[in-house]
Amino acid sequence: MSAGFWEILALLVLVGTGIAVVRLQNAVHAALALIANFLVVAGVYVALEARFVAMVQIIVYAGAIVVLFLFVIMLLSAASANVGADFLPRLPWVAGLGALALAGVLTFAVTRFQPPAGAPALGGGLPQALGPLLYDPEKWLYALLVVGFLLLVATVAAVVLIEPERIIAATGHPAHPRQEKKPNPPIAEQKDERAVVKR
Amino acid sequence: MIWLVASALLFSIGAYGALTRRTAILVFLSIELMLNAAALSLISFSKLSGSLDAQVVVLFIIAIAAAEVAVGLGLIVAIFRRRETTSVDELRQLRG
Amino acid sequence: MLENLLLPLVIGLPLLGFAVLGLFGRRIGEPAAGWLASLLVLGSFCLGLVLLLQGGARWTLAEWLPGIPFSLNLDNLSGVMLMVVTGVGFLIHVWAIGYMHGDPGYSRFFSYFNLFIAAMLVLILGDSLPVVFIGWEGVGLASYLLIGFWYHERVNADSARKAFIVNRIGDLGFLLAMGLLWSMFGTLSISELVDKVEAGGYSFTTLTLAGFFLLIGAIGKSAQVPLMVWLPDAMAGPTPVSALIHAATMVTAGVYLLVRHAFILHGDGFLAGLIVAIGLLTAYYGALCSLGQWDIKRIVAYTTLSQLGFMFVAVGVGAYWVAIFHIVTHAFFKALMFMTSGSVIHALGGEQDVRQMGGMRKYLPATHLHGLVATFASGGLVPLAGFWSKDAILAYAFEFGPWLWVLMLGASVLAALYSIRWYVLVFWGEYRGKAHPHESPAVMLWPNHILMGGALGVGFIGLPYVIDYKNFIEPYLTKAIGDFPHEKLPVLTEWVLIAISAVVAVAALWWGFRFFQQKMPAWYERFQAAALQGFYADALYNTLLVNPAKGLAELLFGGDKGLLSGFAGLGSLMGGLGSLLARLETGALRFYLAGLLLALVLLLGWGVLR
Repeated sequence: MSAGFWEILALLVLVGTGIAVVRLQNAVHAALALIANFLVVAGVYVALEARFVAMVQIIVYAGAIVVLFLFVIMLLSAASANVGADFLPRLPWVAGLGALALAGVLTFAVTRFQPPAGAPALGGGLPQALGPLLYDPEKWLYALLVVGFLLLVATVAAVVLIEPERIIAATGHPAHPRQEKKPNPPIAEQKDERAVVKR
Repeated sequence: MIWLVASALLFSIGAYGALTRRTAILVFLSIELMLNAAALSLISFSKLSGSLDAQVVVLFIIAIAAAEVAVGLGLIVAIFRRRETTSVDELRQLRG
Repeated sequence: MLENLLLPLVIGLPLLGFAVLGLFGRRIGEPAAGWLASLLVLGSFCLGLVLLLQGGARWTLAEWLPGIPFSLNLDNLSGVMLMVVTGVGFLIHVWAIGYMHGDPGYSRFFSYFNLFIAAMLVLILGDSLPVVFIGWEGVGLASYLLIGFWYHERVNADSARKAFIVNRIGDLGFLLAMGLLWSMFGTLSISELVDKVEAGGYSFTTLTLAGFFLLIGAIGKSAQVPLMVWLPDAMAGPTPVSALIHAATMVTAGVYLLVRHAFILHGDGFLAGLIVAIGLLTAYYGALCSLGQWDIKRIVAYTTLSQLGFMFVAVGVGAYWVAIFHIVTHAFFKALMFMTSGSVIHALGGEQDVRQMGGMRKYLPATHLHGLVATFASGGLVPLAGFWSKDAILAYAFEFGPWLWVLMLGASVLAALYSIRWYVLVFWGEYRGKAHPHESPAVMLWPNHILMGGALGVGFIGLPYVIDYKNFIEPYLTKAIGDFPHEKLPVLTEWVLIAISAVVAVAALWWGFRFFQQKMPAWYERFQAAALQGFYADALYNTLLVNPAKGLAELLFGGDKGLLSGFAGLGSLMGGLGSLLARLETGALRFYLAGLLLALVLLLGWGVLR
């Protein structure tokens, strides 16, 4: 597959927004850059015959998840990337070299990938093609159920983490009961429990 | 294929961000970037090998990312309430 | 068949009680826990009675172990034992409701008690020897738990361990017997073994060996010489335990086992002689030791030893139904004797030393009556329960050889003496202690009333043939044990023997009654000092067995210490290495992430370039 104009442009935009996500000093800007990155990725998905995934990418990732990030940033007034003291001043150098090495190794790996000849068409990655796979008990049905349950548990866990007081009010128990240490009674006291020694 | 290269670059950029960012929220953003890079590579492989299974896995990645974000942000908020900071460097209790 | 399915329920009821009380006993509380346990045993009794009256039952679970079915069998022999265990067991349960009142471990006690009944029923009803063995070990466990019931005191816990360990020797015998019988006949079902032994075609010497191993098992469980040392110490448990387990039921399991295997033992001169010798020794040893004890419960414990010796002699001379008959009468009068002792202990607030007792007939009139009946039944006064069963043993002993009859008569004189000594020391004379005795509550008196009725009347089911030509129990039991015909004694001889033993018992009781009220002569004091120590059996075992074993253990412990110090050096080396590596644990999240990245690069690089 040759790299045409739009491919090159998309690649540049992806890398540019990616760098913006990790370098911008304002967290709100970084999150917005992430949205841009996700939208481009969604476009790439459409080009790669994954249209349903592309929709989900836009709705869930760009729409819900990153908005959640923005919401928390504003809730905690934590937009600045410069917080606290930096205990590891030389880490950026290590990180830069490590990331370059990783990029080199990964690129080397993927360029050696030989695609099988005559791959079948994907049906455009539409729900008609994905649905039977997703709900097939011999393929992904149980994984789907487990993931659904995981989402439920995660939601409950998020509520418990953020609002322990409400849990107490609703159930009468603390969500994280504190261990109350009761000292062991001294040996002599234990013996006295038995009033009359008889056989 | 160019998208595989793009995913490798995005993954490395995300890793760099996870290491250099000091607030928990931004570390988290970088990790999302890495997740997305992995998803992109899966979609590319799906196209190359003509298998829809990889697309299903990407759907799962998105769902799990949603769960992870819910819990992760909940943790960040809970830690912020107790310690008044989102800096990951100041959470150093687990020292050897 | 429905009635056959009910058979497991007989065991299941007390087992259910064990589970329920063990899990929820603290919530059930006092006294509901005790009543629940008692009623379950009563239910077991009623169910067993119904099944027995409609002619027995069998229940088999074929696929239990490869080649070994899980089979239960209720025939006349196991039925009689079932009636004793659940009937007397029920009475003792009810009595314990009063006795254990206010104990912090109240529900735990009844949970163990029900476990014991369930295990004992497995032992009795088991038709396959491994099933019997489960019950055999189960009663051992229950006995261990109950002897050490008040485990806060070291003595009690030690006594429990002693009982458990000594019993292991007997269990080894049982296991060896099982292995031998399996290799000989390829089956472990008792009802099949009966046929195979009858069919012949095996080595009689090997069969004798199997019988010998069974005998070892029985000796351990029934506390016969030389494994008798655990029973007196078992009195560390609560009194209901002594009454139920260490007098009425569990210790008779050995006798029951031998009677069950009468088809192996019968006609074997070597085994018969051995069993008679062991029984005789135990009868004398127990009787003589009992005469020197001061602890009221140890007195009764040694009398139990002596009576168990009588049962062994009965088995040895081939009087299998008599042995069971004696188990039945003994269960009644010995349980009564123990519970009377318990009532006295209860009345005196825990006092167990008979030197601090005396004169109780004035303070505890009802208990005094119970004690009197127990004494007379145990001492063999005509026509109480103990007389008839002992007389039957004496008659068979006479057939075996007049010399044995003489020796057994001597043992029964001692039995009369120790019974009357217990009675005199507790109930006659003036009160020597300082507590304020009070009569027991109704829940403790009524079981004793019923047991007293049994001690008075139960002997009439087994009258000698000269009085009642066809008594009830002999044909009833021989149906299950197997008929081993024997020459009945001439009528005149039988009458003379009965008369002699009756007169001797009365004389011994009367002489003892006078003697034990006086000041003891010097020779008796000397005898008493030796008897108090159980004629130094414990000291002998300590010197011969326990101390060498301890020495060996010390030696091995020293070796272990040397090895351990070597390991400790290795450990500190590893600790140093660990603390070196621990410096990598900086606690900084991003430092760890950098490590992850490095590892990822290295692994991927290795994977790609390989």
